[in-house]
Amino acid sequence: MKISINWLKQFVDIQETPEELAELLSMLGFEAEIDLDLSGIDHCVTAKVLSCEKHPNADKLKTCIVTDDIEKFNVVCGAPNVAEGQTVVLAKVGAVLPGGFTIKKAKIRGEESFGMLCSEKELGISEAADGILILDKNTQLGIEIKEILNDKLSSLELDITPNRPDALNHIGIAREIALKTGRKLRVPKVNKYSPKTVTDSVSVKIEEPIGCPRYIAGVVKNVTVKPSPKWMADALLSAGMRPINNLVDISNYILLEMGHPTHIFDYDRFPNNEVLIRNANEGEEFVTLDGEKHKLNAEHLLITNGKNPVALAGIMGGLDSAVTDSTHTVLIESAYFDPVTIRKGSKVLSLLTESSRRFERGADPNGAETAFYRIVELLKELAGGELCSEISDEYPGEKEIPTIRLRQSKLNSVAGYDNTSEFIESTLQSLEVKTQRISDGEWNCIPPSFRPDLDREIDLIEELVRVYGYDNVTTAKSLNSLFSYDVPDPQSHLNKVFQKLVGLGFHQCYNNSLQSDKIAGSLGIRTVSVINPLSEQMSVLRTSLIPGLLRTADHNIKNGSKNLRLFEYGQVHHRTEEGFEGLNESFVLCGLIHGLETAHSIHGDEERGESIYSLKGILSNLFDTKIVLTPIKSKGFSTAFSVENDKKICGTAGQLSADYVESLGLDLDDVFAFEINLDHFDLKEIVYKPVSVYPSIERDINLVLKEETQAGELVKLISKQGRGLIKNIVPADIFRHDSLGDGKKSIVFRITFQSDNRTLEDKEITPIIEEIISVASSKIGAKLRS
Amino acid sequence: MSYQTKIEAVRESFRTALDSLTSDPQFIEDVRVAYLGRKGQIAKLFSLIGAIESAEKPVFGQKINALKNECQSLFDEKLNSLTAKLKEAEENKQDYTLPGYIYPKGSFHPLQQTMDEIKQIFTSIGFNVAYGREIDDDYHNFQALNIPKHHPARDMQDTFFVDKNTVLRTHTSNVQIHLMEEQDPPLRYIVPGRVYRNEAISFKSYCLFHQVEGLYVDKHVSFSELKGTLEYFIKRIFNENVKIRFRPSFFPFTEPSAEVDIWNEERNQWMEILGCGMVDPAVFENVGYDPEIWQGYAFGMGVERIAMLKYKINDIRQFYLGDIRFLEQF
Repeated sequence: MKISINWLKQFVDIQETPEELAELLSMLGFEAEIDLDLSGIDHCVTAKVLSCEKHPNADKLKTCIVTDDIEKFNVVCGAPNVAEGQTVVLAKVGAVLPGGFTIKKAKIRGEESFGMLCSEKELGISEAADGILILDKNTQLGIEIKEILNDKLSSLELDITPNRPDALNHIGIAREIALKTGRKLRVPKVNKYSPKTVTDSVSVKIEEPIGCPRYIAGVVKNVTVKPSPKWMADALLSAGMRPINNLVDISNYILLEMGHPTHIFDYDRFPNNEVLIRNANEGEEFVTLDGEKHKLNAEHLLITNGKNPVALAGIMGGLDSAVTDSTHTVLIESAYFDPVTIRKGSKVLSLLTESSRRFERGADPNGAETAFYRIVELLKELAGGELCSEISDEYPGEKEIPTIRLRQSKLNSVAGYDNTSEFIESTLQSLEVKTQRISDGEWNCIPPSFRPDLDREIDLIEELVRVYGYDNVTTAKSLNSLFSYDVPDPQSHLNKVFQKLVGLGFHQCYNNSLQSDKIAGSLGIRTVSVINPLSEQMSVLRTSLIPGLLRTADHNIKNGSKNLRLFEYGQVHHRTEEGFEGLNESFVLCGLIHGLETAHSIHGDEERGESIYSLKGILSNLFDTKIVLTPIKSKGFSTAFSVENDKKICGTAGQLSADYVESLGLDLDDVFAFEINLDHFDLKEIVYKPVSVYPSIERDINLVLKEETQAGELVKLISKQGRGLIKNIVPADIFRHDSLGDGKKSIVFRITFQSDNRTLEDKEITPIIEEIISVASSKIGAKLRS
Repeated sequence: MSYQTKIEAVRESFRTALDSLTSDPQFIEDVRVAYLGRKGQIAKLFSLIGAIESAEKPVFGQKINALKNECQSLFDEKLNSLTAKLKEAEENKQDYTLPGYIYPKGSFHPLQQTMDEIKQIFTSIGFNVAYGREIDDDYHNFQALNIPKHHPARDMQDTFFVDKNTVLRTHTSNVQIHLMEEQDPPLRYIVPGRVYRNEAISFKSYCLFHQVEGLYVDKHVSFSELKGTLEYFIKRIFNENVKIRFRPSFFPFTEPSAEVDIWNEERNQWMEILGCGMVDPAVFENVGYDPEIWQGYAFGMGVERIAMLKYKINDIRQFYLGDIRFLEQF
């Protein structure tokens, strides 16, 4: 909301600079920034247009001679509204306009130009760029523009939170300044006019008292539609609103002055002298005054002339009933509409207006009356209008304002510091809350009608802390700590896994959870979709972290990093059935590797690509022996293993299939990945096993095997013969040679024997070795290599 | 020639040989054998003993022995110095300017690091950590937090809907409600997690971000304590001298509410870093806590915002791009 500092001064004294005022309002809860401050603009002066002729070489340009009363300047100007005799703003050579635009001497289509005539937009005053700013003819020439305009136009942009509809206007903000500084608030006196002679009448009928609790109407005749006087036009402009004509401007002026939205209709459109407020019919069409046709639903509230709609209540008037240059009699509407009704209506049409914004946040039912009389007054003053009907004030929905009990003890307890009774009473008084002390430290409070946000004790407590000043609240230096017997962070055990991954060269990634259905659903998983996505590319939640990491890999490869180890930990979603219960959500850990595991180096390292064995090595590094990998078929993988922990399958690892990678629109070979749900992993419990103090013995058995025999079979077989003495079996070497025979290989198994309670001797080991060889021979056909 | 002269001759020639000695192992061995060997020059001198007068034998013997010892120690000395030189020469052949072996470099994501730091600070002052659902019903994300349907406060958070009553959570405050539904007061938690906003993607906003929510409910929790806790947190995560401002604001689920700014010297302006306030009694009523007995505070902060300020990152999209040139800096 744009607030004009000059306008505020009508209602409260202001001694602060714009910066100080912004800080003061920010600290009251109205985040403020300086919107317009011309004080930094130099070499922009008032000047008179002495002559104005068509540019010899350009149809749309004019060459002007302007003077600042000292010198004459040739200036080329493209504005359509420039004319001889005007007083305008000349930005001289060397001027720097808002946005950093510097004026230089220029040759435009062959004509020299020494400066620029400025529009409002170029000066940063408004968005108006359709012509230059024309000043009052009597303005003195040669004066820096900041000296005549700054005071008039300087403004603040305020961020008004939705709970404070009362602050969406100048009096509301002035009230807050008065409250904080202790200065006096000056509110315009309201005269309750009554018609001198009654020549017209209007009857108001409210069919929907819930949507429209109050409606005040009156007829004013003999109005003359013309431009608003300068003071009003300037005021509107300084608050960011374009002046249109006196009737429209009066309504806008009151809106910005005291916050109540009103509407002025052409009364010729009310042939039956009747206003009927009803709900729209489902599908009823209505053209608003911006020329847009809307299809309404049965919850929309309409103002009608008894037959046809004339306004979308509280949102926007109709095109047909709008005032025109020939309007002579008007109907003033000043009503109070229900916030929820207005919000629903505006939301469904995506039609947000200054009026709907105030009604949906909660206008002041009593303000409707004040606004009505202010409009009557201004119509008389600025348009020559006379009130010519009795005032219809239908108020079927009057609500009682609650009485709130305020306890000093509760205030002090919530605030955490002591408040004096004097402070409480004087603050409530400035807030226009009526108070009555019922006992020591207890008051009955009735808030003003313009503060719909105050209806509980806590609301008053907030006001008292806010006005006291958050800056002044003492800061507690210690906490009343409470013992907790929970594990402080149920995910802390993951840190170890992340640390290992980083140690193994993995970069942690955070990818977007929103993907296209094509990507997230590519493996036939039912996705969870969003009904109002930003785009189709981001319309469903990810079902796996692999596509995101693949995209990351692709991005990095395109940017020159070829060897990649990436991981991500995050939530994935899929749907098992309709409804809330069918939404499945789980945390998974995903790793992806691509490129070289070992690069060629000057020290003689051989280049070696990432492979299934890198993946196996990484997984056993991360989880030791807690997991079992079993070959399976899995969608998306060309080679896959199920990852099993404690007999439960918790994930998949392997090489991604080329088809899958391609289906995601990427071109990458040899990508290996794992994706594991760690929820049921027992990573937290660590139980120490005593380390054996007895020496271990290492033995190699070199077995000749058929080529197709898997090392793993032998490891399993050997471990069974160990009599509890085998600590470790590693396939240590593999050898292929013609001398072994056709289709044969030999593998060296390095076996470590150790006992927890004695020193092992050869005579104990030898029989085990013999047994291993004999079983290997009988079961697998393995032979000891001599 | 007297035996004395013979001894002197051997000594002379040994010294000459020693002086000319190089690091060639064969040469060294040859010299050793020629003088100190079993059939070397010194051994030959011993064989002369038989031919001289017996009275002089002991003297001659002693002199040869002395010569032998002298030559042996000179030879050892020479050998040591030669070996040292040889080693040095060998060392000089190494090129230690070569790079070390290559170990891959990994990194923790800056958001993870920031989140960990936030968790660490709050757990150190007695907060527990809880996690929760990203998809939740309208009730837990909005209504229970005192944001009714058709309330203008809904405009403060653009929401992604899964269906009419199911949303991608717009804040981690939904977990507040779940925690209070499940546990009796007092309680003290922080809740980190991913949240979603239906906002166009630009350098300053993304369709999702990470939040850490805090909740503390007990009998005497006050606004003053909230201010103290958050000042402590901010000073620890930024630095002790950071300028902090608590500014009144509005959130439907807290009252009084505040936004907290820190002063950014470079930009010469206040930067908002978190929102907070005293838990609104309506929220307590929704979860069945008696607001006459229990008071609490809640706060919420954006992890991205804090990481951006800490590391001077100016484009939020960097966090989700996964560019290694970005990641490896952390």
